[in-house]
Amino acid sequence: MISTGMFGIDDMLGGGIPKGSRVMYSLEPGVDGQLFMISTLYEAVEKGKSCLVIIPHTTVDAFLADIVQLRGKPLPVKENRVVFLDSVDRERIQRRAGKGGAADLEWQARIKKLCTDNNVGIIFGYFDMIYEDFGLEKGLRLLSPSCCTKDTTIIIEHLNLEGDKLLESFAVKKSFDLIISIRSSFRPLPHFNYFTIVYTSWSTQLRRSVPFLVKNGRIVPYIPKIVVTGPPDSGKSRFVSNATELGISVDRTGPGGETTTVAMDFGWLHWQDFDITLYGTPGQPRFDPMLPMILHNAMGVVLLVDATDREQLLRARHLFHTITKMHVPIVIAANKKDLPGLMSEEEIRAGIGTGKDIPVFLISALQKNDVRDVLESLVDSITRFIY
Amino acid sequence: MYSYKSGIPQIDQVTGGFEAGTNLLLLAPSLSYAEQFAYALTKPLPGEYTIMLSTNERASEVIDQFRSSGADKRFIGVIDAITKSSTPAVSDTERFMFVTNPTDLTGIGIKFSHMVDLIFDGTFSKEVTGLFPPPVRFCVNSVSTLLMYRKLEVLYQFLHVMSAKLKKIEGFGIYILNSEAFDDKTISLIKQLMTVVIEIKVERSDNYFRVMGVHGINADWHKFTINKGQVVLAL
Repeated sequence: MISTGMFGIDDMLGGGIPKGSRVMYSLEPGVDGQLFMISTLYEAVEKGKSCLVIIPHTTVDAFLADIVQLRGKPLPVKENRVVFLDSVDRERIQRRAGKGGAADLEWQARIKKLCTDNNVGIIFGYFDMIYEDFGLEKGLRLLSPSCCTKDTTIIIEHLNLEGDKLLESFAVKKSFDLIISIRSSFRPLPHFNYFTIVYTSWSTQLRRSVPFLVKNGRIVPYIPKIVVTGPPDSGKSRFVSNATELGISVDRTGPGGETTTVAMDFGWLHWQDFDITLYGTPGQPRFDPMLPMILHNAMGVVLLVDATDREQLLRARHLFHTITKMHVPIVIAANKKDLPGLMSEEEIRAGIGTGKDIPVFLISALQKNDVRDVLESLVDSITRFIY
Repeated sequence: MYSYKSGIPQIDQVTGGFEAGTNLLLLAPSLSYAEQFAYALTKPLPGEYTIMLSTNERASEVIDQFRSSGADKRFIGVIDAITKSSTPAVSDTERFMFVTNPTDLTGIGIKFSHMVDLIFDGTFSKEVTGLFPPPVRFCVNSVSTLLMYRKLEVLYQFLHVMSAKLKKIEGFGIYILNSEAFDDKTISLIKQLMTVVIEIKVERSDNYFRVMGVHGINADWHKFTINKGQVVLAL
């Protein structure tokens, strides 16, 4: 497997990109997605793989300077393991080919020669100008195994001005083994970038979309909102604080000295290469008018119940009914497994009214590992879910 | 909704300025003061920001041009498609961003998004204008140069996306196109993306403009000169 250089994405792909694959990073205009290709290139070069980089839109110097700016450090080129075809080569090829239209043959010959001479394992091609110069079919042929060997992995970045139709046609024709579309929601607010794994030839997984951030020269998949909800005293605040690295809870102390959440819990964590923001709801029914606001735009929900308190199940059932309408992944966490009077999973499912399709975890919110197991399951569901 | 003053009394008095989301094509022959005309339309007024995509001049020259017309450079950003080809290591700042050359539409799109992001986040300039959404004037100087590097179909698709984004952010786009250098098909295709066209012509060393596509303004020709970055109508 070849790593994409983006570890959260490698996991989503089942470990990375199989050798000999053809990969398309499709960029919507304006989306800050150049780091996808750069990350994969950087990783390949760092691992000492022999690479051919085709950059018809720019010069080698400008390209390397861009990498420094994007990544914060230079491409670790070792012993001429990276060769380039750049805009200067493009001009030369065009000049030599003249008006005869043999430029594609010249490209083909140069790519073949560089691949053979340097035993190239991965080709990184910026497709935009090639597409314009030669059209879709001919352009794709230039960046195909016909110009190298079957074992050569080919990774292409393309500025996609034609939208989903182009990607759908690629998927239908099986032009690529992996298609990742990188897009952005533009202003007005909210503004975020996200990527979608449109197609993979080596798995039957569903289409996945995940927002991402660019942090310190790296792509970081981002889950902007997971909500933790449940009946009062089920342990939501504890769950959020134990799950997150930074967190606050807006609580109020009652006359008996007990505290209850009156606004929300909030926390942030970086985990399994994802940035995740957690929101906890108040559990008391009198705060129910706030629930739709807190649940709005959530990408997944943890329904927390006290596994020792049968009387809570009715309230949990009501909350479950509310969140199932949102059509987002749900995980049920039955808390306080370490206390006496624990209900069985079947009792909990029956009480809440859920089938086997929703995972139920028996946990102790005091145990960080238990909390993380719940999140792992939910993140996995989120990355597989069609929103 | 915000209105962008043009600085041309004949337009501003009748319409109150150009509506937010307007995309304006400045169609002009060579040596007709079109660039100065575009600078006059693009200059940020108090409370506004300007982004200039420059395919002809370096960022420093663009700023000099604006400065000579009295514009506040703290609110002007430049996407420079010239400097990087000779100085590859030049680094982006909040107000100056660089792409290797005008072929790099991927880079141009990303730098534009970055600059808009900075403006919306309030980190573009130390001075905050206070208006939200912040009014942004965006000028492509020029579409003619972009057409020399990229095919019409590709550029049409790209400008389609850019003009749509500009509409979304309630900005004001100004695009310069040389009317003599391209055929009718090219001009009419680019016109399709626009809401307003200002045409410039030169007759016996005098410059004239007319406005098309603005309700309440007829398409009569007006003789003009440029003085200190202002379009001045000659009587």
